[in-house]
Amino acid sequence: MIQASPLGDALSAGWVFPTAECFHISAFALSIGTIALVDLRMMGMGLRRYTAARLVEETELWTLLGLVIVVFSGLVLFASQPRIYLPNPALRFKIAALLLAILYNFTVHRRLAMSDVSPMMSRLAAGVSLLLWLSVVSGGLFIAFV
Amino acid sequence: MSLFPLFHWLQSSEFFAALSGSQLVYPIVMTTHLACIAVFGGMILMTDLRLLGLAFTSYPAAEFVGSLRIWKRIGFCIMVAAGLLLFGAKAETYYGNPYFWAKLTLLALVGVHAMIFRSRVYGNLAEPDRAGVTSAEAKVAAYISLALWIGILCMGRLIAYYEPPRGPFATAPLYFPAARLRVFNETDTVLPLGDRRAASGQHARRAGPD
Repeated sequence: MIQASPLGDALSAGWVFPTAECFHISAFALSIGTIALVDLRMMGMGLRRYTAARLVEETELWTLLGLVIVVFSGLVLFASQPRIYLPNPALRFKIAALLLAILYNFTVHRRLAMSDVSPMMSRLAAGVSLLLWLSVVSGGLFIAFV
Repeated sequence: MSLFPLFHWLQSSEFFAALSGSQLVYPIVMTTHLACIAVFGGMILMTDLRLLGLAFTSYPAAEFVGSLRIWKRIGFCIMVAAGLLLFGAKAETYYGNPYFWAKLTLLALVGVHAMIFRSRVYGNLAEPDRAGVTSAEAKVAAYISLALWIGILCMGRLIAYYEPPRGPFATAPLYFPAARLRVFNETDTVLPLGDRRAASGQHARRAGPD
């Protein structure tokens, strides 16, 4: 009975991959979403009551939690077909962008968000952050298209 | 009345045929959809977590919701626009896909959620803010919203995994082989391409034997 349903099919035929993808997507909404809140604030928009520094403090635990789930579920996805994924240029681009984005987020981005810099500088830092994360998302998507 | 002719017409229209055939534009529209999920979906999650008292607890809920409202609306519009394009390109394929209909149902329930809770909860946060509490109703609204949106994300993703039934009633040419569930094991290594490559007429690449 259960096997006749689409859900049963999903469970019996490799449900790990789709489940990992669901976690991957929900968690990147959490991590990139919280980073974007800080970026918007650095651009003078969104949650303006507090400083960007305060927003970093309020969000960083959620960002970190999201990133841990994203990376972990991503590893599960990768592990399903490593020999096929590894040569994929979009995957390589994505991994490079991801490492860069994470490094940037916890060094330059964080430092500029926490300190008092000119609005220009702040905007620039936020723009770079959004671009980096957009590259990660689009890189991930193009894995299926290249 | 069946919607199938409409879905068929949509997908075979010149515009959507070109869209689904494009190896560049289609993924870009999809990236837009995903980027909106990342940024604005994240805002929805954070709003729910704020109402549950799990995040931004020092930030007044009324102001939190107010400051993000316009951004969530903009994001929602872009997300829906991109989603409609993705739908049109695959309308006929999605017609028999239960995950697609599940996602639409959940989206409709988001509308119902808004009708029930928008003014009662989201437009009425200043008072609880002053009292320093979150009403039980607000928490219920937040839990339901969380469940709906995470459900929408998951159903959206699972659309790509549905395998249409085969048999005398399965309209075989309308569906594509790689839309089926991806099965992974050592002997059958199908490249997890989603349903994209199949739609453009290419078959999933197979790993050579080593």
